[in-house]
Amino acid sequence: MNRFRLSERGAERLSISVLLAPAVAVIVLLFLGGLASGFLRSLNYFPLIGLNDFNFDAYFSIFTDNGFLQSLVLTFHIAFTSTLIASILAVASALLLRPAFRGKRIVHFFFSLNLTIPHLVGAIGVLYLFQNSGLVSRIMTGLDLIQRPADFPAMVFDPWAIGIIIQYVWKEIPFIGVIVLAILLSVGEDYESVARSLGANRWQAFRQVTLPLIMPGVVSASVIVFAFTFGAFEIPYLLGRTFPAALPVLAYQSYTDVDLAARPQAMAMAMVIAFISTLLIMAYMKLSRVYIRE
Amino acid sequence: MTQVTLSGLTKIFDQKNPPAVDNLDLEIESGKLTALLGPSGCGKTTTMKMIAGLLRPTSGDILFDGDSILSIKPEERGAVMVFQNYLLFPYMTIADNIGFGLKMRKVNKKEIKSRVQDMLDLVQLPGFEERKPNQLSGGQQQRIALARALIVQPNVLLLDEPLSNLDAHLRDEMRVLIRRIQTEMGITTVFVTHDQEEAVVLADKVALLFDGRLQQFDAPDSFYDTPNTVEIATFFGGTNFIPGYYLDGTITTDIGVFDAPHSLVPEGNAVLSIRPEAVDLGEGGENSVSGTVLSHVYAGRYARFQIRIGDIEIEAVTEPGQVKLFADGDNIPVKFDPDKIWVLGTDTEKHPSAAYTG
Repeated sequence: MNRFRLSERGAERLSISVLLAPAVAVIVLLFLGGLASGFLRSLNYFPLIGLNDFNFDAYFSIFTDNGFLQSLVLTFHIAFTSTLIASILAVASALLLRPAFRGKRIVHFFFSLNLTIPHLVGAIGVLYLFQNSGLVSRIMTGLDLIQRPADFPAMVFDPWAIGIIIQYVWKEIPFIGVIVLAILLSVGEDYESVARSLGANRWQAFRQVTLPLIMPGVVSASVIVFAFTFGAFEIPYLLGRTFPAALPVLAYQSYTDVDLAARPQAMAMAMVIAFISTLLIMAYMKLSRVYIRE
Repeated sequence: MTQVTLSGLTKIFDQKNPPAVDNLDLEIESGKLTALLGPSGCGKTTTMKMIAGLLRPTSGDILFDGDSILSIKPEERGAVMVFQNYLLFPYMTIADNIGFGLKMRKVNKKEIKSRVQDMLDLVQLPGFEERKPNQLSGGQQQRIALARALIVQPNVLLLDEPLSNLDAHLRDEMRVLIRRIQTEMGITTVFVTHDQEEAVVLADKVALLFDGRLQQFDAPDSFYDTPNTVEIATFFGGTNFIPGYYLDGTITTDIGVFDAPHSLVPEGNAVLSIRPEAVDLGEGGENSVSGTVLSHVYAGRYARFQIRIGDIEIEAVTEPGQVKLFADGDNIPVKFDPDKIWVLGTDTEKHPSAAYTG
């Protein structure tokens, strides 16, 4: 009886494995395979171009390279600042969108509209608006707020990556906001009412009651945004400076360098990006588990 | 202690619907326990939220000790509301939940700690400081919610259906606890309920609302003895109604003429109401008529009879010992004690003023 049941369970397992095989194969071959081959190349193993010795030279060289460290700092700055600003504005807009008001549906539609617009389109929009020759600069010139378009502060290809951050904030507010709004609506306003009637003012009720209740959602949405903005290539490539460039751009530059010897460094950079993203996801999962336990 | 006055209080959520609360006038006495009673959707909770400052009235005024508090923010009113579903803050310990109001008032930590302990003793849950709300039963959460409200020494305590989520046994316990604490602390307390028994058992005074309108505001026993309308008498259950004409202290009905010194109407078409337990079976004399026993049920602590008098059927509830005295089909005298007859108007118009007696 027992044996029969075991074999039945075994058969079930086998059929699940067979059914999952295609998906697993894709993940293993393309993702893990790519990761493994990238890792090998980052260790200076690339027989095709005559590199056969395993060593950590590429890692040593990037971590001692001032340019790489500047890129790392810049990438952190972009990801952290965009995520922070987008999260704060997203929570604020979710709070504004929560109560019932006339035309709420339309406002909500426009709020979530740019979830559907590709990042690239946003980047082009930022270019048109915020370049020195862009629309904002020309309007300000027209209004005599600045003398010449060239006086407009650099917001694209600038050292502070303002254009990149604007684009990310614009794109990610509705992403975080829609999640936070859903949580706000499910939590309801009664907890706040309790807090108010117990003597909390508006700010205290938000800070002590509403924010902790929505925090798990805010954290999970913003970690996704951070990991994305940390590893994304196209926006810093279009709106950023060439030097220092964001890490994904730097990795791409090294990879396409005519000097094949730069390949291991490009791979090492990609590994660092992957490693940091993985760390973030693990930290996020741990954080969210702590919240759930509480 | 605070006296709460509601004056013409009205709340309209949506022009398409009738007002949730309609021109409500109420004097809630200082230090007393007042029940807002009514079927669900009658505007009880809305009234309470307006007192707490969580909803803005459409018109009318709310006064604490004679001063309007409409412009005072909820956190400064000192009217603390305890919600039906407790709403303990899930991520805080029990101690932090109870101490919340004091923390908002920036009381120092040491004092908060000792007052939280006092509160836990008061609600008979000592040692619960470090637990989380989800580790507590519904009854325990309810008590913590009460402690969290009481710790700030509110001027007015507002309880929204405080017993409805509890099972029968816990309900009795909680009822005793609320009554005891309320008496000890003398806090003006308003509680909302849809259960007339709960209102009668617990409250000093009951305000009955139907459809956002005040029907009667009285001591609990008045709702049984001298209800304002047939509707109210029916809400409080099981009364006999016999239509007739009232004039000079007597009511003339199809089954006879009865002395009825207590009446809500001076004269005219009226309804005689008498509760089943006030009907005396087997007694003749004045104010009595002859009836036929249709059926009876023995229910242990009492017996219930269906009696036909003329074309009218009434119900009588008697001592269990009387069951054997009457058999189905017997013709017996039925007496209505004049002091227990209450004469009501027939119209549906409400009579919010006190009763006429004569």
